[in-house]
Amino acid sequence: MEVSAPSNVSLREFGCEQSLLSRPDGSASFVQGDTSVMAGVYGPAEVKVSKEIYDRATLEVLVQPKVGLPSVRERSQEQCVRETCEEALLLTLHPRSSLTLVLQVLHDDGSLLSCCLNAACMALMDAGLPMSCLFCGVTCAISAYGQIITDPTSAQEKESRALMTFAIDSKERKVMMSSTKGSFSVHELQQCVAVSQRASERIFQFYRDSVRRRYSKSL
Amino acid sequence: MAAGFKTAEPLEYHMSFLKENCRPDGRELSEFRTTTLNIGSISTADGSALVKLGSTTVICGIKAELANPTVEAPGKGYIVPNVDLPPLCSSRFRPGPPGEQAQASSQFIADVIESSEIIKPEDLCIDRGKLCWVLYCDIMCLDYDGNILDACIIALLAALKNTRLPKVTVNKATCKPEIDLKERHELPVHKHPVGTSFCIFQDSILIVDPTADEESLSTSRLSVVTDEEERLCSLHKPGGTSLSAEKLQTCINRATARQREIQKLIEKVLNSVKAAQ
Amino acid sequence: MPTDTKRVRGPEVSQSPSLFDCRPSVVPPSHGARADGRQRDQVDVRPVFVRCGLVSQAKGSAYIEAGDTKLLCSVYGPRETERKDETDMKCGRLTTDMRFAPFSCPERGSWIQGSQDKNFSLMLQESLQPALCLHKYPRSQIEVNVMVLENSGSVQAHAITCASLALADAGIEMYDLVLGCSIRQDGSSYVVDPTYSEESNWSSSEHQGGLTVAFLPSLNQVSGLQSDGEMAEETLTAGIRTCIEGCYKLYPVIQQALVKAVRRAQPPPPES
Repeated sequence: MEVSAPSNVSLREFGCEQSLLSRPDGSASFVQGDTSVMAGVYGPAEVKVSKEIYDRATLEVLVQPKVGLPSVRERSQEQCVRETCEEALLLTLHPRSSLTLVLQVLHDDGSLLSCCLNAACMALMDAGLPMSCLFCGVTCAISAYGQIITDPTSAQEKESRALMTFAIDSKERKVMMSSTKGSFSVHELQQCVAVSQRASERIFQFYRDSVRRRYSKSL
Repeated sequence: MAAGFKTAEPLEYHMSFLKENCRPDGRELSEFRTTTLNIGSISTADGSALVKLGSTTVICGIKAELANPTVEAPGKGYIVPNVDLPPLCSSRFRPGPPGEQAQASSQFIADVIESSEIIKPEDLCIDRGKLCWVLYCDIMCLDYDGNILDACIIALLAALKNTRLPKVTVNKATCKPEIDLKERHELPVHKHPVGTSFCIFQDSILIVDPTADEESLSTSRLSVVTDEEERLCSLHKPGGTSLSAEKLQTCINRATARQREIQKLIEKVLNSVKAAQ
Repeated sequence: MPTDTKRVRGPEVSQSPSLFDCRPSVVPPSHGARADGRQRDQVDVRPVFVRCGLVSQAKGSAYIEAGDTKLLCSVYGPRETERKDETDMKCGRLTTDMRFAPFSCPERGSWIQGSQDKNFSLMLQESLQPALCLHKYPRSQIEVNVMVLENSGSVQAHAITCASLALADAGIEMYDLVLGCSIRQDGSSYVVDPTYSEESNWSSSEHQGGLTVAFLPSLNQVSGLQSDGEMAEETLTAGIRTCIEGCYKLYPVIQQALVKAVRRAQPPPPES
C-alpha cells in the first residue's frame, strides 16, 4: 500500500504555559488537543553519592501516569525522554549535581510521548539550564488506508497500523529519538521522518514566539 | 602498556581503533560477533533456547499456563515477556527488583512481539471467553557483554519455534479442561523478527553489535528490528546524538541482511535438533 | 498481594496445565531399580559435567550439569563492602544469592524470591564460609550468585559444589574445595543424588527424610549439614557416611575441571 504524505502537516491546537508552579526551578504545561502534560524541573542540586557522576550532572526523569502507579511502560518512556534531554543539555557544566524532571500526565488523548518531550523541553528552558539545542516531539500514525496522520488522537492511534514518535533537534532537524509500534516499510518510515521534520518547524516557531512574548516586557 | 592505556583513557583507546576502521576485538565496524544457538536444552520448559553473541549469553524459557481471557478480548490469549538482568551476569547489576534497563528491555520485547505479530494472541485461545493459554516468556541474561536486545529477540524467537503446547480438550459435561501432556503440537510462528543494534561514537562512527565497553562509551544506541518481508517492526532509538536519514538507511540495510542470516541459523539448528530426536 | 509494577504483567491468576492432566501420574517405585536406571542403596551418583570460566564479566564462574540439573554460578569480588556500618572489618564478608529461573521447575516459579530460595542461600553461605580464608580480605566482600537453570533434584548439593568451584576459579584463597552430596531416605532403602520426582514423591512409610552434606575432601571435614524428615540416629550417621562417599566420587571430576581452567588461563611454556 502506498503512503500518501499530506502536503501540509496538520497538528492539533497546541499551547503552553511556563512558570506556573512556584516550587520547582522550572515548570511548564504543554497541551496538544486534549492531551496535556505538566513538567517540573528541580536542580542543579546536591546528588546522592551512589548516583554521582564525576564529570557531569545526573539527570533523573520520572513519568507519572494520570491514575495508578508507574509501570514498565512509563519506565521505557522515561528512558526515551531522559536520553533525549541528556543529549540536549550541557550536563558537563554541572558536574556532580542532580537534575530531576518530573512529568505528570494530566490527560492522555494520543501522542503522549511527543507531548511529554515538548513539555520537558519547555520546562528545561524555563529552568534556564544551558542547552546545546532544543528538541521537540512529533507523533505520526499510519492509518489503515496508508495515510500519515500527524499528532493523532487516541482513537486514531487505535485504528492505525503503525505509530511512530520522533524527537527532532532544532539545529539540523535530525532524529534524536525514535520509538515505534506496529510494522511498516522503509519508504513509510522515511516519509514519516520527513513529515515530522516539517511539523517540527511549526513547534520550534511556537517555542520562539512564546519565549519572545514572555521576555518582550522585561526587555 | 595497552591494558593501562585502555583503563586510563578508554575512549581514546577505542577511538584509536575506530579511526583505522577496526575494533579492539579485531572485528570490522559492521561485523557481528559469532552467534551460537542451542535450542530445547531446558526440559522443564515448554520451549527454550540459549543464545551466545560473542560472550553475551541469554537464555529464554517459555512456560505455558491456563487462564481466563479478559472480557475486552475474549478470543485472545496472553503473552507475558520479561527480561531479567540478575547480578549473576555482570557486576553493574544489583540484587533486588529489576532496574531501569531490565524494565525498558522487557517493554521493548513486549512491543516487538505486538508489532511484529510473531505469535497471534488469537492462536492462544482454547475456548472463546472461557479458557486461553498464557505464554510466560522469561528471558534471562547469564553473561552481560553488550547488545542484549538482539540476543533476547533471537532467544525469544528460537524458543517460540521450539515451543510445544499440550493438547487440550474441554470436557462438555464438567466444563473442565482435560490435558494430554504427552501429545503436543507446535505453536504457529507467523513472523521472524530479528534485531540489529548499533552504537554511535563521536556523533558519526556507526558500529554494529556493541560490546558492554563500547555501549558505555558511545553517545547513542539504535536498534532496528525487521522481519522476513523486510518490513520494520521497531526502530528504537532512546535518545542520544541525532542521526541523519542516510545513516538510518545504512542501518536498515545491515538489519535486513542480518535477519536473513539469523533465520537461516535458527532453521539449521531446529533441523539438527529434529534429526537428533 | 501488591501488584508488581516493575515487570510486564500477565493475568491475575493462571494455572499450570499439569493440574488438569488426564493421565494418572506415575509414582516412582519405592523398590527395585530407579527410573533412570541407577542402583538403589548404592553410591550411584549421576555423571556430572563441569566447566569453569563461562561468564566473561565475572571474576570466576562455574557451570555444573548433573543429569538434567543445570546450575550456573558466578563470583564477583573481592570488592569494597557496601555495608559500612558493620563493625567487624578485619574479616571479609561472603554474600550468597541463589535463585531459580522461573522456568527451572515443572511448575512455573515466580520472579520474586521466596523463602525457600533464601533458605538455600543461607545454607550455601554457611557451607562455603569455613572453606574460605576470609581473614585475607579485610574490609571487602565476595559475592556468590547461583542461578538454577533447570531443577532436576539435588540442587542444594550441586550448588555448593558449583559455588566452591567458581570461588576457586576466581582465585579466592581457600583452605579446601567444598563438595556437596545429598541422599533421600525412603523407609529402609535410600537413593543417592535424587532426581526431582524422587525428591517430591513421598510414599507413606516411616523413616522418610532428605540429607544434604557439604564436605571438605582434603581436610576430611563436614562444613554443612542439612536434614529434614524423620530418621533414626543410625540411619542418619550411615547417611552422612554415604554422602561423604558420594563427594569423593565427585572429587576427581572437579579437580580436573580446575586444572583445565588453570591451564587455559596460563598455558604451559612451549617445550623447546
